[in-house]
Amino acid sequence: MAMKTSSAKFKDRVDEGIHNDFMRLAVSSAQERLHGRRLTAVDELGSWEDWRSLGEEIRQHVLSNLDFYLHQLAENVSKRGGHVFFAETAEEASGYIKDVIVKKKAKKVVKSKSMVTEEINLNATLEAVGLDVVETDLGEYILQVDDHDPPSHIVAPALHKNKEQIRDVFKEKLAYTKTENPEELTAHVRGILRKDFLSADVGITGCNFAIAETGSIGLVTNEGNADLVTALPKTQITVMGMERLVPTFDEFEVLVSLLTRSAVGQRLTSYITALTGPRDEGDVDGPEEFHLVIVDNGRSSILGTEFQSVLQCIRCAACINVCPVYRQVGGHSYGSIYPGPIGAVLSPLLGGYDDFKELPYASTLCAACTDACPVKIPLHDLLRKHREVIVEKEKMVPFSEKMAMKAFGIGAASPMLYKFGSKMAPSAMSPFKTGDIISKGPGPLKTWTESREFPAPSKESFRDWFKNRETGGKPS
Amino acid sequence: MTGTIQNEGTFLNKIAKNLGRAPITKGITRPVWKHAPQFEVLKHATPDDLVNELQEQCKRVHTQFHLTDSKQVAHLLKQVIEELGNGQLIIPKDDRFSDYQLFDVLNEKGVHVWDHQAGKKNIELAESANIGITFSEITLAESATVVLFSSKNHGRSISFLPACHVSIIPKSTIVPRMTQAAAAIRSKVNRGEVVPSCINFITGPSNSADIEMDLVVGVHGPIKAVYIIVEDK
Amino acid sequence: MKVTLFATCLVDLFQSNVGKATVELLERLGCEIDFPESQICCGQPAYNSGYTKESKEAMKKMIQTFEDAEYIVTPSGSCAAMFKEYPVLFKGDAEWETKAAALAAKTYELTQFIVNVLKVTDVGATFEGKATYHTSCHMTRLLKVKEAPAILLSHVKGLEMTPLPDAQNCCGFGGTFSVKMGDISGQMVEEKVCNIEDTGADFLIGGDAGCLMNIGGRIQRKGQPIKVLHIAEVLNSI
Repeated sequence: MAMKTSSAKFKDRVDEGIHNDFMRLAVSSAQERLHGRRLTAVDELGSWEDWRSLGEEIRQHVLSNLDFYLHQLAENVSKRGGHVFFAETAEEASGYIKDVIVKKKAKKVVKSKSMVTEEINLNATLEAVGLDVVETDLGEYILQVDDHDPPSHIVAPALHKNKEQIRDVFKEKLAYTKTENPEELTAHVRGILRKDFLSADVGITGCNFAIAETGSIGLVTNEGNADLVTALPKTQITVMGMERLVPTFDEFEVLVSLLTRSAVGQRLTSYITALTGPRDEGDVDGPEEFHLVIVDNGRSSILGTEFQSVLQCIRCAACINVCPVYRQVGGHSYGSIYPGPIGAVLSPLLGGYDDFKELPYASTLCAACTDACPVKIPLHDLLRKHREVIVEKEKMVPFSEKMAMKAFGIGAASPMLYKFGSKMAPSAMSPFKTGDIISKGPGPLKTWTESREFPAPSKESFRDWFKNRETGGKPS
Repeated sequence: MTGTIQNEGTFLNKIAKNLGRAPITKGITRPVWKHAPQFEVLKHATPDDLVNELQEQCKRVHTQFHLTDSKQVAHLLKQVIEELGNGQLIIPKDDRFSDYQLFDVLNEKGVHVWDHQAGKKNIELAESANIGITFSEITLAESATVVLFSSKNHGRSISFLPACHVSIIPKSTIVPRMTQAAAAIRSKVNRGEVVPSCINFITGPSNSADIEMDLVVGVHGPIKAVYIIVEDK
Repeated sequence: MKVTLFATCLVDLFQSNVGKATVELLERLGCEIDFPESQICCGQPAYNSGYTKESKEAMKKMIQTFEDAEYIVTPSGSCAAMFKEYPVLFKGDAEWETKAAALAAKTYELTQFIVNVLKVTDVGATFEGKATYHTSCHMTRLLKVKEAPAILLSHVKGLEMTPLPDAQNCCGFGGTFSVKMGDISGQMVEEKVCNIEDTGADFLIGGDAGCLMNIGGRIQRKGQPIKVLHIAEVLNSI
């Protein structure tokens, strides 16, 4: 699965989303739980604004010195015997990984959850050469078993599915015979995947944060799957977006604290693991060989632009969990592996405006995302900046909108014109009026009036009232 | 043995170019950050306060908490093992097990001590063990987290493959939060020590909320977790 | 105290009652109100749609209009937040940057002005009824005015306030979003109205005309008896 998860039109995807009652219920209840948990976790920590400022400062420092820290990371990984491959494109990254695995004559690959491996279309690349690729994060595993259903959330990928649907998928594909009880479903998966962990030749992970000073890879999970993926197979391949690193363990600690609280409202998740190089001499478990693949895939072109701050992202999904639009349409409507506000900012940058030009408009700019972001990315403002680019550089907006906005620019800057227009408004709108409301609006108002009334303009504008009052004309 | 690095030059040059400056590969020092809220958490906590914090947090992370001393620890461990249903035990090769005089109990119950010379056999034994028992190196009160360092005597599998994980926590290892653990690891780095190939920060049992946000305890790793705090150590 | 009113385009054209209530309320609190006729719109509709160039023309006009004002007060958190954003937009523009900063510095949302500048928490209003309050996004998140409306409403005699579930969620207005993404917007406002219905309130009070038009339009369409009021109207009830 590359960035793009659907070939359907945006409008059709949204239409499907807002008519999927189960998904919407699942999303809103998840949002409410996570919202509560996050607020509790943040409150009990105290000084949250200082934490956010610290997170922001660390991320900005790393981004402005990214070449230095990547160099330091690569040196330290290689000193410990790891191999580093810098991949400019998705194809280079997945091609390298495929070659490493094929050379090992490996058959089975186990993976822990990684968005960047989705981005580089890794599973398809490996499956195309006959490899057995097994996702081991419970959510990802469910999606994989269900004929590669795309993820709808970056932390809880199977959020859109209910337990009955999962039971049915397991019955059909995994000879499952028990109930829809999540504990039974999970126990079944534990049994299957334990065998996969023990028999896999290669383990592939993403990377929450790499630590430049020690050449370590930081992994954050609740399930412990990343630990088994890296402890048991002989070869470990870690894939990281090039911006996902910190200077030292001190900053790793800070960002992990921000991540776990913001993502799931936990002080720490069950398993935080820092892996350095392949196994040490004499070690029995851990990989004999370790490869780190550092992926650009469009990220470097964001550096130095007004969108640079999006690279501060630590993939916690707090913005998704508070987004009122995501709440209504769900993750699949975005048509990208990165949904929600972060997805609406990131997808057009990494995947291009052609496929993702609608996403920046799927926001009321309510700024709930910006408020929730633990590293202070001004997400709503970046969405607005995308609109600016779409208007000015990409020139992708409808002619009628452009004209309307041109008229706005002229009208709103000219009191005379405005006055004339506002005088005309009540009579211009009168054909559509019933009493004081408009129920079937013309032109752009049509979509508004499909679900609500639009008010008719006041008979007397405020400015007329004020003027008359001052001159002693009409009584108030 | 040193590993290889491929395509670094062009990759980093592109970054520098887009940042609008010449490439930098040395000379950057980490600034003093303007904010430092992490040092304020549990700043004035006494060792007893930290034990209390740890105990409270254990309730939230589905972990059994026991407080004992070095005289009673063997007896308590026996009880814990029985409550977890006995079965095969696996432990790292660690002098503290004999320092704490735990081998009578362990041997009685049937224990495998990690032996790197036995190779893969260790993993098979860990997989079939019911309980893995470890000593926490550093313990984080805020999050109820034990920190383990891998080595040839301490395989990673001990705390992941068995159905239960029991961690013995000398009270002296308890610190406020991950901040102090990070500092301890960094001072190792600064002293020129080699960072262990695997550092685990483990908080309770394995779990997932991937199905309808319903928490299920026990996914891929241990299903049960028990901490035994030893007060006088 | 002399106060220059920025009525906003929505109030001027669609909700003149809100403008009237604002004037009367401030006068009752001892302010002298000035309304420069050349004011139009803060520029937000164009700015938020990505038409920055077009919006700047409107903004320059507003900067000029309010150049001599001592205090600019507006019954809208959203438009006040837009004024506060001007210095960022005109950054590096020698002619306009300082002027934009001056405009931003003297701009206040109505309740913020009453509580923080006039130092009044009880405006002496009486309003019988059970109401709930919609915290608009731009007022709380961009302007950071979170307490003032609640403080003022808590002193209104006869008014019973009941909390709104999921108050933090946007009502779905979002300016041009409400027409450009009408389907999604419709779903959002429906959820908001359901939450309002669940409170059992007879009145929905808010501080931004845009949100109120949106929520009110849905309430009307559903034929609910809940009345929608701007906070200025409630505070102006004696």
